[in-house]
Amino acid sequence: MTKELEHKFISEFQENQNIIHKVCRIYTNNQEAHNDLFQEITIQLWKAYPKFRGDSKLSTWMYRIGLNTAITLYRKSKRTIKTQDFDTVLHRIQSTSYDDTEEEQLKLMYKAIHQLSDIDKALIFLYLEDKNYKEISETIGISEVNARVKMNRIKTRLKTILNP
Amino acid sequence: MDELDLLKKDWKKQDADYPKLSYEEIYTIVHKKSSSVVKWIFIICIAELIFWNVINLLIPDSYFEIYEKLHLKTVLSISYVIHYAVVIGFIYLFYKNYNSICVIDSTNLLMKKIIRTRRTVNYYVYYNIIATIILSFIINFMMFSDEELLMQVFNPKNLDIGGDKLFNILLISQVIGLVIIILFLWIYYRIIYGILLKKLNKNYKELATLE
Repeated sequence: MTKELEHKFISEFQENQNIIHKVCRIYTNNQEAHNDLFQEITIQLWKAYPKFRGDSKLSTWMYRIGLNTAITLYRKSKRTIKTQDFDTVLHRIQSTSYDDTEEEQLKLMYKAIHQLSDIDKALIFLYLEDKNYKEISETIGISEVNARVKMNRIKTRLKTILNP
Repeated sequence: MDELDLLKKDWKKQDADYPKLSYEEIYTIVHKKSSSVVKWIFIICIAELIFWNVINLLIPDSYFEIYEKLHLKTVLSISYVIHYAVVIGFIYLFYKNYNSICVIDSTNLLMKKIIRTRRTVNYYVYYNIIATIILSFIINFMMFSDEELLMQVFNPKNLDIGGDKLFNILLISQVIGLVIIILFLWIYYRIIYGILLKKLNKNYKELATLE
């Protein structure tokens, strides 16, 4: 039974693993920290899986556990090296046809996001994932009004970071 | 906001760029051990519950002889019954709180539950310190109310020490002991809260200011 469950989990997780990579993308800025957080989230998902009843979408369930792990359960690894930025954006852009300004803007954008607080990162993440304010407020555990207020503040803050 | 729109556009394109972990790779991760904050809190809390009980059990019997001589045995027996009732109460509360921690709750609720669990054990430690202080007050009060007996017990060889002097020595040694315990606990909690719960507390406060 456990083997069956494990097989089911790994197969489903494998298909949806991008969700977790994206959470790690927002919360970490080097490869090692990314892998570390990815690992902890995966373990937490597996631990919670037997209780997953399927009354919510698997992706929604993964968003929650992913963000909760990143914000609450995960302790930053001491090995985090700040100077070695994990610049997937830059790396990726070189192979795609972006114009220089867009490339530069994106790079700055990710840098700015990494300066935000853990909670703000969660809101930005859910915003990027096209979640509405109702879902955002339910995931974080704040009221919809507060989610809106907070989101507006984050936008202003990002603007200040980008245009000092 | 232009940049944010640009980012959102880019965000959706990046799916293909992430590494696809194989079944075997995920299997390996699934079998690794978690090092989450909750797990550490659980280990530390259990260690604390055990620590305070072991301290009580480690006190040698000879220690109680002196209390017998001072006619304090009954007071101590009563205090032990109360103490173990309280310990059982704390253990029950701790398990109740710990079991309520659920990773699928909203972030806010999850943090609340973790903090509540941790707080239960804090109260347990406070209880131990306060109970020790109160008990030592009672014992001291009873001891010093019968100076003759006191001198008999603490100065059996009838050395030339005045009652005042003996009183001062006993008082000072108790105060020093208390200060050392409090200092030790303060450092300990700085470590626990500094390392383990700093991030959680910070994030929790941020959400609390929103409400």
